[in-house]
Amino acid sequence: MWKKGKVLAVSSPGGHWVQLNKIGNKLEDQFLIIYASPRGQYKVAQQGERVVHNIMDASADSKIKLLPLALQLFWLILKERPATIMSTGAAPGVIAILLGKILGIKTIWIDSIANVQRLSRSGRMIQAYADIVLTQWPNLSDGEKILHKGSVL
Amino acid sequence: MIFVATGTQFPFDRLVRYLDEWVASNKADNKHSEAVFMQLGEGDYLPQHTQWKRFMGLEDYNEKIKQSSVFISHAGMGNIISAKDHGVPIIVINRQASLGEHRNDHQQEGLAWMAELEGVYTASTQEALYGLLDQRETLRAGKKSHDTSLTPLIDYLKSVL
Repeated sequence: MWKKGKVLAVSSPGGHWVQLNKIGNKLEDQFLIIYASPRGQYKVAQQGERVVHNIMDASADSKIKLLPLALQLFWLILKERPATIMSTGAAPGVIAILLGKILGIKTIWIDSIANVQRLSRSGRMIQAYADIVLTQWPNLSDGEKILHKGSVL
Repeated sequence: MIFVATGTQFPFDRLVRYLDEWVASNKADNKHSEAVFMQLGEGDYLPQHTQWKRFMGLEDYNEKIKQSSVFISHAGMGNIISAKDHGVPIIVINRQASLGEHRNDHQQEGLAWMAELEGVYTASTQEALYGLLDQRETLRAGKKSHDTSLTPLIDYLKSVL
């Protein structure tokens, strides 16, 4: 049902998106990465071979938008049928990973490098649900559930 | 040109005002005057002494970073990474939750380790920012990384994807 080697990479704009791109750029030689992020005026932007789906901009502070965003992501997942969902944060990634969990898709959370003293709020929310939780800081790894494998810097 | 960016999510009027006032006070002083361009986001304060846009497309944004001698930003990771990728030194100033500039103080907490990064200069006050601006010719960009931390992360992801 899910397409092998296909990854849905989801994040909010700004720093999360920059980090998602740093990672995605290096995976594109072996995997088909489909991006989803709030892009404002852009719709489905084609950057070379790259597909970026525009999604609603919602955060934990704009809870009313979370439901339509969830429907949008649900539809996108059914359409793209990724084998893996990966996110650097924040709210759009939490929703995408919860949907992935429900649908039996492998999910990977890469916590933003901006969070040094503890996992991000969204990371703490999602850590019980994501199959793999990575931190970019060695001191935040517990060696079991929260792993440190490297960072974008 | 000095490029100033406040980020996409919250207003950061304080930073905009600091730079606007800095330009105003240096106008008569040729030694310190340099064009400033600001990306304002959703703030209320409109600069009187510099050019600005509220939001920019990613290409324009990256072009401005590339053209700048110094990049001044809220203490956000995206801009720190972009500054390094474009070979430009960056000064970051942290948002403060108590002033409504963010939902928490992770930028303040981050300032200490950001200061350890090559090519990143930190300021938490107007005075510190002006001090760095006055010596901006001496600021150096971080060297392009050889992905020493990114490569093991990518190798791991490739093994589990």
